[in-house]
Amino acid sequence: MPNETKTDRITIHGIELEVRRRGAGSPVLWLHGFQPARPDARWLDLLGRRMEVIAPSHPGFGGSARPKDFESVYDLLHLYVALLETLSGQVSLIGSSFGGWLAAELALRAPGRVDKLVLVDSLGIKVSDRETPDILDVFNTHPAKVRQAMWHDPDRNGPDYDAMEDAELVSIHRNWESLSLYGWHPFMHHPRLAYWLPAIKAKTLVLWGENDGIVKPSYGEAMAKLIPGAQFAAIAAAGHHPEIEQPDAFADHVVGFLAR
Amino acid sequence: MQAWWQCEIPYPDVDKKITDAADSVRASLPNRYCDPARAADLFHEVLDEFALCDELGMNVICIEHHAGINSMIGSNPMITGILARQTKNVRVLSLGTLVSLRPDPVRVAEEYATADTILRGRFEIGFVKSGGTEMASANMQPVNNEERYWESIDLIKKSLTSHDGPFSWEGKHFSHRHVNIWPGPYQRPHPRMWAATGDPRSAAEVGRRGMTHVLVLRGPEGTKAAYEAHRKARREAGLPKVTTDNFAYAALVYVGDNDEEGVEVGSKLLWFLNTSLKAAPQYNRFLPGAAPPVAAPGLYRTKPKADTGLGLKDAEKGVTTASQNSQKLLNITAQEAMKQGILFAGGPDSVYRQIMEFYDKVGGFGQICLVGRSGHMTHAESSKSIRLFSKEVMPRLQAIKPVEVG
Repeated sequence: MPNETKTDRITIHGIELEVRRRGAGSPVLWLHGFQPARPDARWLDLLGRRMEVIAPSHPGFGGSARPKDFESVYDLLHLYVALLETLSGQVSLIGSSFGGWLAAELALRAPGRVDKLVLVDSLGIKVSDRETPDILDVFNTHPAKVRQAMWHDPDRNGPDYDAMEDAELVSIHRNWESLSLYGWHPFMHHPRLAYWLPAIKAKTLVLWGENDGIVKPSYGEAMAKLIPGAQFAAIAAAGHHPEIEQPDAFADHVVGFLAR
Repeated sequence: MQAWWQCEIPYPDVDKKITDAADSVRASLPNRYCDPARAADLFHEVLDEFALCDELGMNVICIEHHAGINSMIGSNPMITGILARQTKNVRVLSLGTLVSLRPDPVRVAEEYATADTILRGRFEIGFVKSGGTEMASANMQPVNNEERYWESIDLIKKSLTSHDGPFSWEGKHFSHRHVNIWPGPYQRPHPRMWAATGDPRSAAEVGRRGMTHVLVLRGPEGTKAAYEAHRKARREAGLPKVTTDNFAYAALVYVGDNDEEGVEVGSKLLWFLNTSLKAAPQYNRFLPGAAPPVAAPGLYRTKPKADTGLGLKDAEKGVTTASQNSQKLLNITAQEAMKQGILFAGGPDSVYRQIMEFYDKVGGFGQICLVGRSGHMTHAESSKSIRLFSKEVMPRLQAIKPVEVG
């Protein structure tokens, strides 16, 4: 049977979520960052050969509805705790970027359900002093600069808006709006999460694109230090999305870690 | 018709090479380009112009904008406070503290009640939605800005009209468990409230609330459509008809001795459009919430697609968003601005005629707001226009009485 991405819809607490699924085996929940997983992504194919990847679009992203006043990470965490309850047994969590923040919070809120945690270029904590921003302000920075910071090779891997269909652009802008609601203030982190990271029980891998200009590898190293026993690994020739720019290296790290 | 004069107190003296090179003249332009001695001179000149308006009987407006060359009035209550004490005759409109940028509407209510008390009731309160660069400079969520705007207006109104001890407010955006301001406003139940908006949805809400509805530099079509949305919402809600008093229009206005001088000096006001509006894309078309997602194809594409199905025009039912409106105004000429009803300039007779032509095109209004000084216009030039307008144009406008419009 060919390995292909299926899209279905599930309802949690009355909220209809679009979910991409790929592969079979132990369940792995993928929590996306600024944009949801693309069904044709190579990293999804590679992971799907070894496990069942479940990749919901957050409310307000992709094909997922966002209920009125559902505007906070508080809402997202309740939603994903409820989603975890629908899965059998223990689950591995992979959180990318903004989704890494959610994954770290979930590992704390549902310790019995999360056995392994992978944080990929994750946001969520405050590391540096009060006058040094840790995370590039993607909303208040010129889009050309954000693009340079986001990708190791922006020309090859950055989105080409001129080539996209209208519907895709509309979706991207809706995602942007939802991201703003969830992450505008405090910007993409919870001021108290760093204090709680040492309470994470799940085995943790912190993966980082070596050339990430949105949030630097040193931030990932700081995160790994705060989580007991966490490993840190950098992926060369990758920016904020190593899963897109170096899918093979990314999948090797993830599969190696989750299979152990 | 009543006349109101305003100056945003811009800071025009930044080298053009710098403003041309900067991607934005708001929010991100360093304030090292603002010489404090020059800023002080500008504040005093404009405060003197406000005093001149008071002497000549023209009402005054104090606006607010943040962190840019377009306006140094980042602190509306401070300038309003000065006007509260220094004016003796005319009405003062604060248009206004940008309430959706303020964390505590109760504090705004206190400031407004104080101003109204010092003015012994010569005060009016205006609300402006804000947006764009000010979301960055105020660190405020842009997506639900409008929702915050209306909730803050509700809380300010309740603060101003409650006189029986503390009340509690636990809304979506604001929580204040013990509201009890001293003093309350001088005018009861509260000073007249204004709101500035061009989009039909907000215009409808302004109509239902019976606020004085001001359109700023929107031109005849946008203005007429907004006024009509206001009236239609009232009809649909079964509310009584209003008069032209409920409608206001703000334009760049300059009166000279004759048409030639009026247009020549009045053209200096276009600085407001062609220099002070420049904003980088992150504060503008890519700002979350500034345009609906359906407008995205027009925002993201660098070249137009042959059969773009979803344009901004469709999304906003023919009315452009504030950011698109700004883009169109960037390169406007004096002749075009006059044709569009954005600039009224010339000798007294000509300015009167231009205002009345616009009045007829949009279905009438009871308040004309003069953006009277901007850019490199001098204190002397501005004062001259204030004198000519007050003596030669205003009496003719005051003779136009409010009429019922439904």
